[in-house]
Parts: sequence; C-alpha cells; structure tokens
Amino acid sequence: MSTHIYEFESQMQARRYARVWPHRVGRNRTAGLQLSSVAATSSTVNATEIAHFSRLSSLWWNEQGEFSLLHRMNPVRVRYIREKILEATYEDQGEDARRELESKCAVLTGMDVLDVGCGGGLLSESLARLGARTIGIDASESNIGIASTHASGDPQLSSSGNSLEYRHTSAEQLVKEPKRFDVVCSMEVIEHVDNPVAFLSACAQLVKPGGHLFLSTIARTPLSYFITILAGEYVLRKVAVGTHTYSKFVNPSELISFFQTYRSSPSSSSNPTDFGDFGSDASPRPWITRTYAHGLPTRLEADVRGIVYIPWSGEWKLMPRSSTPWGAVECNYLFWVRRPLDS
Amino acid sequence: MAFFAKPRSSVRLGCRRRLFLRSFSSEHARDNDIVIVGGGPAGLALAAALAANPIAKNSLKITLIEGGDLSKIQDWGMPPNAYSNRVSSITHTSQHFLNRIGIWDYVEHARTNPIHQMQVWDGVSGARITFDTSAIPESSEMARMTENLNLQRALLRKLSDTPSVQVIHSVKVESIQREAGDHNDWPLVHLSNGATLRARLLVGADGFNSPVRSFAGISSYGWSYDTQAVVATLNHAPRGPFQVPNNTAYQRFLPTGPIAFLPLSPCTSSLVWSTKPHLAAALNKSSPGVLEQLINAAFRLPEPSLQYIYRRLLEGTKSSEEIKEEIMFRERSDGISSHSAYASATSMLSDGGIPPDDADALPPLVTSIQQGTIASFPLRYNHAESYIGEGAGSRTVLVGDAAHTVHPLAGQGLNLGLGDVDALSRCIIQALRHGGDIGSYTALIPYARERYFGNHKVMSAIDKLHKVYSSTAQPVVWARSVGLEVINELDSVKAALMMNAGASSRLENASGWDLLAKSIESLAGAASTSKMVSGMIGAGMQELAKNAGQRIFGRP
Repeated sequence: MSTHIYEFESQMQARRYARVWPHRVGRNRTAGLQLSSVAATSSTVNATEIAHFSRLSSLWWNEQGEFSLLHRMNPVRVRYIREKILEATYEDQGEDARRELESKCAVLTGMDVLDVGCGGGLLSESLARLGARTIGIDASESNIGIASTHASGDPQLSSSGNSLEYRHTSAEQLVKEPKRFDVVCSMEVIEHVDNPVAFLSACAQLVKPGGHLFLSTIARTPLSYFITILAGEYVLRKVAVGTHTYSKFVNPSELISFFQTYRSSPSSSSNPTDFGDFGSDASPRPWITRTYAHGLPTRLEADVRGIVYIPWSGEWKLMPRSSTPWGAVECNYLFWVRRPLDS
Repeated sequence: MAFFAKPRSSVRLGCRRRLFLRSFSSEHARDNDIVIVGGGPAGLALAAALAANPIAKNSLKITLIEGGDLSKIQDWGMPPNAYSNRVSSITHTSQHFLNRIGIWDYVEHARTNPIHQMQVWDGVSGARITFDTSAIPESSEMARMTENLNLQRALLRKLSDTPSVQVIHSVKVESIQREAGDHNDWPLVHLSNGATLRARLLVGADGFNSPVRSFAGISSYGWSYDTQAVVATLNHAPRGPFQVPNNTAYQRFLPTGPIAFLPLSPCTSSLVWSTKPHLAAALNKSSPGVLEQLINAAFRLPEPSLQYIYRRLLEGTKSSEEIKEEIMFRERSDGISSHSAYASATSMLSDGGIPPDDADALPPLVTSIQQGTIASFPLRYNHAESYIGEGAGSRTVLVGDAAHTVHPLAGQGLNLGLGDVDALSRCIIQALRHGGDIGSYTALIPYARERYFGNHKVMSAIDKLHKVYSSTAQPVVWARSVGLEVINELDSVKAALMMNAGASSRLENASGWDLLAKSIESLAGAASTSKMVSGMIGAGMQELAKNAGQRIFGRP
C-alpha cells in the first residue's frame, strides 16, 4: 500500500524546514512529495525540532503571517459546514428542527467530528467551539504538538465540557479502529496526497451512515495555475514557493465520479478492515446516484461550491450554488457529499 | 461573600435595581471572554448589545470595569425642568440600534426632545441652510436630544436585569499585561481591588486617554483645536402660539467656532459654544447674568460687533449691566430695530404677541442659566491608526472615544460610538456562529473594515467644516456662503445631507455623508486656493499685491 502524505501542513512545515535547514533536506528538494520523508522520519523528537517548536507555533497562529490566507478562509469553511448541517437537519427532521438548531451557536453538539490534516488546529478549534466532539489528526507530530499547546491556552477548549483531541496518525490508520464519525473534514489536503483515490476511500470509510464528508481543494484549470501558483507563490509571494503542484490539483468532476462509483459496504461502520467496494452489484447504492445533464450532482447527495478570495476586502467569498457546470469553481472550491443512510 | 468596591454600597443592597456584583478570589486570574474597560455609553451599550443576542448571551462571559461610581448614574434623577449639561442628539440610526437591543424603552422619553428642523448659518455672511424633516419622507424627526445620563441610566438598568454581564464599578484598572508565554497569550487586567481578569478579548471603551489603546500599542493621529467648548443648560420663555414649537436646533458658525442651541423641552435648551480658550475662560468665570446676554448676542449681532463685545469682556467689563450697555450700543449702531428678532438687549418684544417675521430664524431669548450647568472642555480631533491590536497588542479592540474623538459641531461623537458598538457586536456574533475565536485578528477584521473608513470620512468632513468656518478670508466666506445657499435650494441634495440625522439605513447614511464630504471638500479646496494665491505673491510684488488686494477684496 502506498504511503499517503496528505498533510498540507506537514508539507508546509517540511518546506519551511527545508528553507531554514537546506543542508538537512537537500536531497529531498528535487521532488516535492519526497519531502514527506522528513516528516515521516522525524517522528522521534530531536533538539532541532524542539528549537523550532515555538517558531512554528507562532507561524501557524500568526494571523498576519504566511498562513493569513488560511486563517481568513476558515470562517467560510465553517459557514459552509454549518449551512450543510442545517440543510441536512431540515431534510431529516423538518423545518422546526432546523430553526431550533439555527438559533443555537453550537450546531455540531453531540456529533463526532474528524479533521484529517488538522495542521495547527485552525479548523479543529472552530469545530470544537461549535460543540463537536472533535478529533484532529495530522501526519506531522510537531503539528499535533502545536495544535495541542494552542488549544490548551483556551479555557473554552481545554475545559471538561468540550472535547478536542489531537492525534498523530493518518486516516488509513484510523480506519483500522472501530470509531466512525458524523462529520469528516479534510480541508486543503487532497491536492497534496500521492494516491487521492485511496485517500478518498479512507476518508469515506470513516463516515457513519448518513454522515457528511467535507473536502476543500483546488481545481486543475489554467485559472487556478495562474492564481495559486504563478501569482500566489511566485509573484505576490502570499504562499511559500512549492506549496502547490499543479498536476495534483483535483477537479470537481473527478470527486463526483469517484462517489458515483464508490459504495460503502453495509458493515463498514463495524468492520475495521473494510476498504470499500467498487461496482459490485451486491453492495448498496453509491453515494452519488444521479447527476443533471451538465454533470452536477443533486442537492441532497453532494454539492460543489466555489470560494473566491477577494483581494481588496481581504476576504474569502462563498459563491452561490451554480446552475452552470462549473461556475466559480475553477480555482478553490468546497465539496460536500453525504453517505446514504441506507448504506 | 459578595465583593463590594466601597463598604457603604452594601447598605443599599436592598434596592431592586442594584448592579450585579459577584464574589471572586483575588489571587487567581479569572477567565473572561470579553473584558470591557469603561462604563460610558459605548462600553455599556456593547455589553447590552451582546446580552441582547441569545447566542452571545449563552456563550460569552462578559465583565465590564468602570473606575467611577455607576450606582450614582443608575439612581440618577432630576426635577422635570432641570437638565444635565451633557446632551447628545441620538440619530435615527442610533435609535434604531438602541431599540433593537432593548434599551430605548429604558430611556425616560419625557426627558428627550425630537428635532424637526435644523437651522445653520454663516456667522460672517449670514448665508443660511435649513434642514427640515419634511424633506425626509418616512420620518417625523431628524434626531432626538437625550441627556447622556438618561441613556447611561437606561443601559445600566437594562444590564442590572442581565446576570450574564458582570459590571464592576468604582474599581480602577491598575495595569494591563500580556500573559507570560510564547504563544496564545491573553491580556491580563489587574484591578485596584487586587483581582486579575484574563481576557480573550479586551475592549477599550475607555475614552480619549485610553489605557487599552496604550497597552495595544496603537498610536493615534490628531491634534487639539485651539478651541474650548462651553456647555450650559439654558432657560427661556416657551415659543408663542404663532411660532413653531421648540424643536429646532440652531447653529451659527462664528470665526471663533460654532455656537449651538439644542432644544430639550419647551422652555429649556442646551448650549454648546465652541470658542477660543481665552474667551471660553472669560465666559466661564463671567458674573451672573452676563453669559445669558452674551449667548443671545452671539446668535444675533453681526460679526464685527461681536468682536467688539469680546474685547470689552476681555478688557474687564464685568457686570451684567455693563455688558447690557455694550450690547445695546452695538444694536443701535448696527441699526437693529428693537422690534426685530435680532434685538436682544434692546428687545421690546413681549411674550405672546405676534412675533416678527424672522422670529423662527433665531432661537428664543435666553432668560437664565440653570445653576451649576456651566462647564467647559477642550476640543480635539483624534483617530486611532487601527481599531484592532496586533502582535504584542493582540486580542484588543477599540470603540467610541478610545478609537476617535471629534469636534461636537455635528453632534456625531456618541453616534459614531454607538455605530462602532453595533458593528462590533454583530461581528462578534458572526464569529461565534462560525466557531471563531472572538479575540483573534481574523474574527475582528469585519468590524474594522465596516467602521474605519466610514468614521474617517465623517470625522474629516466635520474637521473641515470647523476649519472652513474658522476663516474670515473673503474668498472663503464667499465660497462657503454660495455653497450653503446653493445647497439650500437643492432639495434632493439637502435630503441626502439630512440622512446623517434621519437615516434608518446605513447605506443612506453613508451617501448623505459622502455628499456632505464632497461639498466640504470643495469648500476646503476654495480655502486652500485662496491661501495658494496669497502664497504666490512674491516679496517683490508686495506693492502690486496690496493694490490688487484693495481692488479685489475691497480692504487694505
């Protein structure tokens, strides 16, 4: 089985590491993804790592620093998750239940939520504040350290009433455990993995029946190349050079077609060794059963929404649902899919 | 054991409307989501706005600190015809906000007075503009004069019914420090009673000399005007049956600063007289009966005659009789008929008769000043460079006078503060909905973006109004007079201008100020052009220039 290095964060960290300590990682700079070996082999904490600990921490949580775009993207992601949870509540329990939930702040109360590739914990903290029993996982041990330390300073997150847990593990490892989640999020991660299909199926297996999977990534289009790589990394230097690899960007249609064939095995929530099943007639229906003529899924099964950075306001904007095939999803977008209840 | 700031306050504990004070240990820093420093209208309104929202109420622990004794304000009361000297015009937008957060019902409405009309005129040229509510289709009043204490009391009463907000008063902030630690450090507020509060978000509603602003390391930009404001509560006869009721605000722009007459009730009004510091000092310590006459004269006499009266006052004309003589002399020499509304010392008008034609163009004659209401304070312009602290000053935000101080001539100071509070409370609630850390920079950006440039526009328009009207240079006077007269003729422009007072939506409000800002901008342009022209006249051209000056401006 191939190693999935899907942590945007670990890659960022590795690159930062590479920048500061080029002689240590020089061999790995030739191919972006091999950098992961730095994170993978540095699991034993050494003095250099500890020396970097506070520095990395201040970088992750420096809102005006290199991660400022990610910080600003966070409210939009959470807003999207919130909207989708409310929509699902409406579909399952009707308008009154939706209204009641909407009047509350903590819309994720009572839910088990997994944040795959949590990095410094930007999204995990928000999910925990919305009431979720949150687990954030990351392949980089120092990211987990940073995230845990940051959360411990916040009484709202460290108090007994809230549960936020960070673990140094991967989605593939977690699949082997029996725990399944109401919501699985993996934001800005899939464009950094080696084997997106295996990664998606690991994430999908972690979702309870009727649960939600949220992804965010970048579409593979000339526009996204221009914005995220040429402008973002080389011209404006908003993001470190080498953060993104164009060929690894994922188009919405690819995610949709994956879930058109992906079927959960009926026993997936109890059988830790389940790896999904593709195309077998005996299995339950796939997560996406039908699409409109232009390839978009129906509203109740999956959703693709563009998010656009507005430079003059310094804000990300969640674009409205589009009736045309790929309106405003040519660059960054959010993807939501729901595991069928009867699967 | 309950904690009390002052031992004697425990005596009054039986009273129903007592501020809610809680016990806490002094050695351990207590965690708070929001610590508001300052119990003025802005700080109290922020606490009330957050408490009025179910999401914020249920998820935030809020503490407000005030150095002064708020119980005095909570128990504040005055006889029906006596008024405090600090009043503000609460605009429609502000009223709407106060209504939304459930405060407006706690304001004693009998002590407020609507403004239906505003008359503003140039003290040098006499050019006049009249703002009337008839130009605003959907509202009957432009703004409502309200005593600041009336509003503060309303806020305190509302908060005393709100256990989710803890108000600690008569306790000072000794120091503010940043928590020791490399990351995620929160501000620690050390209080004079030994307690320490740890704040996720520290709000500076602590006025012009804001300690929170200094802690946050936010510099501010501004200057002191060479101007003092003299305030007082004025008694006068009620308006006659043939006149409009006392719902008109009057403001005359004199070269020394604007003088404003703000109606509070049929026979009381409030004075805000901005003038040079030495004149303000003389007005402040004038003998009884003198200030009344000077106020009447300042709204009526031509500018040169006022200058003459000022000189007499500064030279030591002290008694009420002497000042009356001087004013009578000037009125006679200016040819003001004793039956004209412009006559004050020589006025032969009796109450109840048919008033002269121009009676509505001027405020009623002041008969006396309420005891102990004369006060003065310096005027300044000040704007913080940012509303949100960064780096070592992170987790701080500024509202109200801590963020900006303006000249009172447009009556916008309190309204700007309430606008800040409205925006900040909405921003915090939005961040809560999205699981944000409300102390984080990212969560607070929408607040700064909504307020900073809007406030700046209003503030510089007010600043320029003050500066343009301080000039007596002829081209400037001409330009601003034409400006006023033209605006007065253009109903649509006027209606837009009035939106600053009567708007119910923020958008309209902004467009009103945009227009005002533009017209002020062009006036200011005229002023600088005249300066430039005089600057261009070189030393060798002085003789020629004098001749030209005589020809063009008609004076040597």
